[in-house]
Amino acid sequence: MIDQRMPIRTILATAVLLCALPSPAFAMHIAEGILPLPWALLWYAVAFPFVAWGLRDLRRRSREAPWFKPLVGLVGAALFLISCMPIPVPTAGTCSHPSGAGIAAILIGPWLTAVVASIALTLQALFLAHGGLTTLGANIVSMGVAGAWVGWGVFAAARRFGLPWFAAAFLAGLFSDWATYATTSLELAAALHGEGSFTTMFSLILLAFVPTQLPLGILEGFLCAGALKFIRSRRPELLRAVPEGGTS
Amino acid sequence: MRAVDVREVSFTYDDGTEALAGIHFRVEEGEFVAVLGSNGSGKTTLIQLLVGLLKTNAGRIEIGGREIGSLEAEELYQRVGLVFQNPNDQLFAATVEEDCAFGPRNLNLPEAEVQKRVTESLAAVAALPLRGRAIHHLSFGEQKRVSLAGVLAMRPAVLILDEPTAGLDPAGEAQMMQLLKKLNREEKMTVILATHSVDMLPLFANRIYVLDRGRVLQEGPSEEIFRHQEMIVRAKLRLPYVSRLMYEMKRHDGVPIDGLPLTIGEARAQLLELIPKEMILPGIEESGS
Amino acid sequence: MFDLFSDIFTYRDNALTRIDPRVKLLIALAALVAVVSAERPILPFGFFVLCLGTVAALGVPAKLVALRLAAPFSTVAVLVVIHTFVTGTTPLFTLTLGGWTLTAKAEGFRQGLFLGNRVLGALSIVLLLGIATPAHRIFQALRGFRISKEWVEVAILMYRYIFVLLDRVGDLAAAQRLRLGYRAPRRGLASFSALAGATIVHSFEQARRTHDAMRLRGYRGTMPFGPFPALKRRERGILLLGLAGILAAYAILEWGVAG
Repeated sequence: MIDQRMPIRTILATAVLLCALPSPAFAMHIAEGILPLPWALLWYAVAFPFVAWGLRDLRRRSREAPWFKPLVGLVGAALFLISCMPIPVPTAGTCSHPSGAGIAAILIGPWLTAVVASIALTLQALFLAHGGLTTLGANIVSMGVAGAWVGWGVFAAARRFGLPWFAAAFLAGLFSDWATYATTSLELAAALHGEGSFTTMFSLILLAFVPTQLPLGILEGFLCAGALKFIRSRRPELLRAVPEGGTS
Repeated sequence: MRAVDVREVSFTYDDGTEALAGIHFRVEEGEFVAVLGSNGSGKTTLIQLLVGLLKTNAGRIEIGGREIGSLEAEELYQRVGLVFQNPNDQLFAATVEEDCAFGPRNLNLPEAEVQKRVTESLAAVAALPLRGRAIHHLSFGEQKRVSLAGVLAMRPAVLILDEPTAGLDPAGEAQMMQLLKKLNREEKMTVILATHSVDMLPLFANRIYVLDRGRVLQEGPSEEIFRHQEMIVRAKLRLPYVSRLMYEMKRHDGVPIDGLPLTIGEARAQLLELIPKEMILPGIEESGS
Repeated sequence: MFDLFSDIFTYRDNALTRIDPRVKLLIALAALVAVVSAERPILPFGFFVLCLGTVAALGVPAKLVALRLAAPFSTVAVLVVIHTFVTGTTPLFTLTLGGWTLTAKAEGFRQGLFLGNRVLGALSIVLLLGIATPAHRIFQALRGFRISKEWVEVAILMYRYIFVLLDRVGDLAAAQRLRLGYRAPRRGLASFSALAGATIVHSFEQARRTHDAMRLRGYRGTMPFGPFPALKRRERGILLLGLAGILAAYAILEWGVAG
């Protein structure tokens, strides 16, 4: 009953139609209740080892340095706020929010980013109706795992290839933002394609993201680089406070 | 016994700033002592040394007769407690109750004792009704009092406060000073206050240290300190307004300036002495008091 | 957005806020599981009506509820559109868009609505939980469930200092605006990055002062937690009743037993 080879133009036209909706159509996180139980549990299972390893790291390091947990808590609060700052997206005509995963990964490393993301997402689900408890696992995977590791990896790789840190930070912010959204699209498509084709659903959702997320990613790249520039010019020693961050 | 004994202590920060240069500072048990100084005078460095947040480069600090370095952390924090200037630095738990219980729980006290201390310390700062409230819903004055309660719950012998009245409105300022006076006079707690606001001090402090650029300019009871207008100005401070007013009046009239009044009552007494008897209308004496 | 972060309602005293947070959390989780595993629309819709009704009865302003539901509503709209045009065979209507013809299909439309219905049901459960339970009670409950101590400690610090940093950042942003830092897009981005950078610098400095204060009150790397009293009989009763109610509703509405 499903048209398995959906014509590409139907996909495109639907995507165009989506742009007419109050944007950004998708909030950054998957809303409460969208994922059916098996998918919700699966993403919890994927997220769990990353958060658990991050917590192990946290426990180990705070035994050596008792100031470490307050530091992670405070940097986490700062990242929470940054991810709530509205940035104007010209193409959407409204404001969207940066994910902050890239700059988090550069500052405190990808493992701890997963921990901080899991807390931030829980608070947002409970008190801001952003994301959700059932979709928490999926949202941790897209932001705190995919976004964090891509951001961290891109930053490290770009530095190794001899790129100046400003460019490296820009790329880290850009790709971590895009990785977050690509993963979110994948999670949505996997759960929702029903009897239809996964590829069609995936490309549709991805396309729906494009008009807001393409420019938002670029803005987040600049944000990431600009924020690092600010810290480097004012308090360069802070960047060495957390050795697992990409800047040491 | 001496509650605090600081001898010949110097401190230089890593960036080379000399914050303290061989100062002496003594506080007896049960005293109420103010450390008066402008920004950058070294008073914050001094109190951070007293609670062990900083370590001296040279000199010796004794708390309750023991060298500070020889005290276990747990022992030290039950001898001295520090109330930070900004309550946000200190109120890190989610609710008033949890914040006050933080210290006692760290001491591994039984839960009944923890609860008793929370109740007592909140009662001491007139904040019992705030017990279940979230910290971020408190007013600034309430936050100041709750952060004091959190330190009191550790039952320190010496209470140190950094600018306890900064940012408070006049009513809040008066309330805070009265609380501290009560703790000092009734609970026999030793109080050390670092501040640059001078108006309230003569009413509360037994002794005052004036700090300037890492040195003690003068030390003594408030009458003695505020007699030296030039020294006070040199320390980038000012006289209490009452004293200042009297100073200007006396200077203007060519009356010798000795023994400036520090409180309104003293000022009134001095004025009545200066004014010729026949100019005082009958009745002022009675109605004014 | 932080107008929405108003947790004053959770500090009101009513029958719901008095219940032990562990009980509320467990019932909410059970309800969520029921909603996301439901295959008929009636159960999620029932939760939606029940929870939103309770929220209204608690006196939460409708405007706040609407604001919180706005973003998820747009998600629902997108899902309905996508499903309508992509899934199904029975044509509902056609739409011509720049030479392309799109066919809306009944099955897709229905599936989109079903999904949206589920989102609203699940969301209203969490909304009610968030309005009836302050953050610190939820942290307590999580400790009671033996969730990692480290996680809860960092969560407590994060929650507390979000408000402190927000005050600071708010002042900074106002200062930037006064100096026309957001007049042109390029300047705006620079100001924005500086704001983010300054927030992080503040957070590091605050972390040092906070740790100093914690240390002076005996902190050695682990925040102490109070005891977790066992659930009272009344609360155990509420828990059992709640879970049984959800199970019964699920059985009747999904499996059609006893029907």
